[in-house]
Amino acid sequence: MEAKPNTIYRALDRKAAAITEFTMRQYRTKTSTWVVLGVGLVAISLVMLIYIDVMATGFESVDNDGDSLDLDNDGYPTGQELKWGTDPYMANSHPGLLDPPIAPEPASNYIDEDGFDIVFDGTSNYQSTGFDDDGDCYNYDGTSSRKDTNDNDIECDVLLIQNRFNGEWSANPDINVDEDPDDAAYALEATHMAFVLGMGKMGFVLLLGLFCPLFLATGLIRDEMTAGTMHFMLAKPIARTEVFLYRILGYLGIVWPYFISIGLLFAVISGFMGPSEGFFRFADLGVWLAIVFATMIASLVYGMLFCALGVMWRYGIVLAIPFAAWELGMCLLSMGAPDASILRFSVIGWALMIVDSAAMLVWPNMDLFLLQGTSFNDDFGSIQTSALALDFFYSRPGVGSTGLVSSIIATVVLLIQGAVLWFIGGAIFKGKEIE
Amino acid sequence: MMPDFDQEGKGQTEPWRPDTSAPAVLLEGVSKSYGRIFALSNITLALNGGVTGVLGMNGAGKSTMFKLLMGKLKPSQGKIRLFGTDPWKNPAPYARVGFVPEHEKMYDWMTAHQFVSTFARLNGLTRAEAMVEADRVLKFVGLADVAHKKIGQYSKGMRQRAKIAHALVNDPELIILDEPLQGCDPLARTTIMNVIRELGRMGRTIIVSSHILQEIERITEQIIILHNGRLLALGNLHAIREKLDQIPHRITIEADDAKALAKDVIDLDDVSGISFPTKNNLSIQTHNLGAIHAKLPSVIVDNNHRIHSIDNPDDDLASILGYLTSGGTL
Repeated sequence: MEAKPNTIYRALDRKAAAITEFTMRQYRTKTSTWVVLGVGLVAISLVMLIYIDVMATGFESVDNDGDSLDLDNDGYPTGQELKWGTDPYMANSHPGLLDPPIAPEPASNYIDEDGFDIVFDGTSNYQSTGFDDDGDCYNYDGTSSRKDTNDNDIECDVLLIQNRFNGEWSANPDINVDEDPDDAAYALEATHMAFVLGMGKMGFVLLLGLFCPLFLATGLIRDEMTAGTMHFMLAKPIARTEVFLYRILGYLGIVWPYFISIGLLFAVISGFMGPSEGFFRFADLGVWLAIVFATMIASLVYGMLFCALGVMWRYGIVLAIPFAAWELGMCLLSMGAPDASILRFSVIGWALMIVDSAAMLVWPNMDLFLLQGTSFNDDFGSIQTSALALDFFYSRPGVGSTGLVSSIIATVVLLIQGAVLWFIGGAIFKGKEIE
Repeated sequence: MMPDFDQEGKGQTEPWRPDTSAPAVLLEGVSKSYGRIFALSNITLALNGGVTGVLGMNGAGKSTMFKLLMGKLKPSQGKIRLFGTDPWKNPAPYARVGFVPEHEKMYDWMTAHQFVSTFARLNGLTRAEAMVEADRVLKFVGLADVAHKKIGQYSKGMRQRAKIAHALVNDPELIILDEPLQGCDPLARTTIMNVIRELGRMGRTIIVSSHILQEIERITEQIIILHNGRLLALGNLHAIREKLDQIPHRITIEADDAKALAKDVIDLDDVSGISFPTKNNLSIQTHNLGAIHAKLPSVIVDNNHRIHSIDNPDDDLASILGYLTSGGTL
């Protein structure tokens, strides 16, 4: 039979679409496919449930500086006495004795009354910022040195210092400046962002992006070789490198919609559950988009790799597992040391860079936000705990460039990795005898 | 660097064109070894047109030869060409080849129509073209009525016919069938043999393997005999038959009264000897198998003998192999 002339549709409709469709249908008929996808969904859904619970419950506001208490039982909270310059420890000294007399305020006015006012101006690596909202520093009746505990000759400010070696900022506030921020709001925001990043990196890119290909792609060609059914495909005029690629496309046809669906679901849930001034956190969609994209690209590269290992050896999964362990190690390393050179020899290091890049673009004040939380002196409070969690999951992109450039670099590197692995996998398959 | 789609190396830019002067199948000094064990040893043959039966016991090298022809295995030595092209390096000749593998495993979750049409698209057909061609070949192999049933619900014979349909969908000039009758019931065997004979009449080059002589005998007269990886014989089945008639044949009959039967048989002209392997079994030696078979029914009926089975233990592949390996030639 004479084949008709090619159009783009006809060209696609032939070998590529045939094997891709066939592979997708084959996956759908296998119980193992649904088990792997189901286990993945259940595993990350459990974490999602914890997140929903935390967001619904919220955090308790804490009077970090203790100035809501009326220490001398004169009816005035300590914060109000400090603001008006009376002695909070003496019952016969309070703002009611001033002329005109000041009425006592409720104690709740002195919970979360002095929030973070740190602003980077970017002009120097040694800058003064912050504001004493509740006046308990400015109005403090004491020496000037008591109001300038960070010793920068400016009273009641926060001193920001940039480390000359690693570029990280640290904050050193004068006493009673920005000392009682809104714990609940900060912790909720930090926990939400930590969840998005943690779920994105560990749940999506690592768990789904690595383990789905481990169990679904390793046998993509090997199983056919072992069963003898590969003869049907290879009895046709098609190069093995093409078969390798189109089988991978079929595998992606299953896992990519799966990642997109779960990503969309999680983005919607966290968008509604997360703290927001509106009804939905639209900005976060950018991060979720990057998370799903990174997972998709990672699953492509891993799919190529694991499929090639399966072709190479009947027990290819034995070769794949050490690699998966290596990637797990690299994932954890990237959280603490995103610029470590060894990460360049991994897949996940580049994939997580896409997530970090998006986080940097969507949340441009992340460094400042982290600085506020991690520098805040509440060893057992929710601010520092949530800030430390966020600090663990958030990293600046390791290539030291802007978010957009970093994400482009990471994407290109991953695509090159995928192409090289396709070439290697195809070459292995080409040289393989099929019994 | 893009992978080499044609597996031929960088130099190939022209589309594949068959060498019209070359035979469909050519093997020159082909050997395939696994370590020190030779699965196929120094095979040389050329086939072009007609139906050729490849006979050999299990492990003789039939499947190895087919896998070499289909580019699944790389020859350890020698040269293989399909339509003048090395199949290990270039899959292009498969556009003109249909292959029925011996493996029983199939895609049980597919219908025969899906199975045939899906793989037809690998021959360069579009979805619509593949559907039409699948209908055609499934009708040809007699599966039109059940084409939309899942292969997992098929009998062994129907599965084999689905495999044959898959191989025929590109209207191939060369069809290679590896043990297509294995495990089939008599009805399925007859159907498949008819299909193969019909393909032969259509002028295709067909290579079909079996380890049962009678099966091949009903399909073709041109045979290749493989034994322990070596090409033992290549020729006409009739020639082998004539040679075999020069050596004594045995007919084993299981009867209620074997001694009484022996008395009636011993006087026949072509009987050269008799023996009793067991109490109820009579073994007759003859140089003219056909003559004895012609006379036996009347002897049995006329004398009211009660017979349970008649067998020709020498009339099989083992006896041919025994003859050939003991120095006989075709």
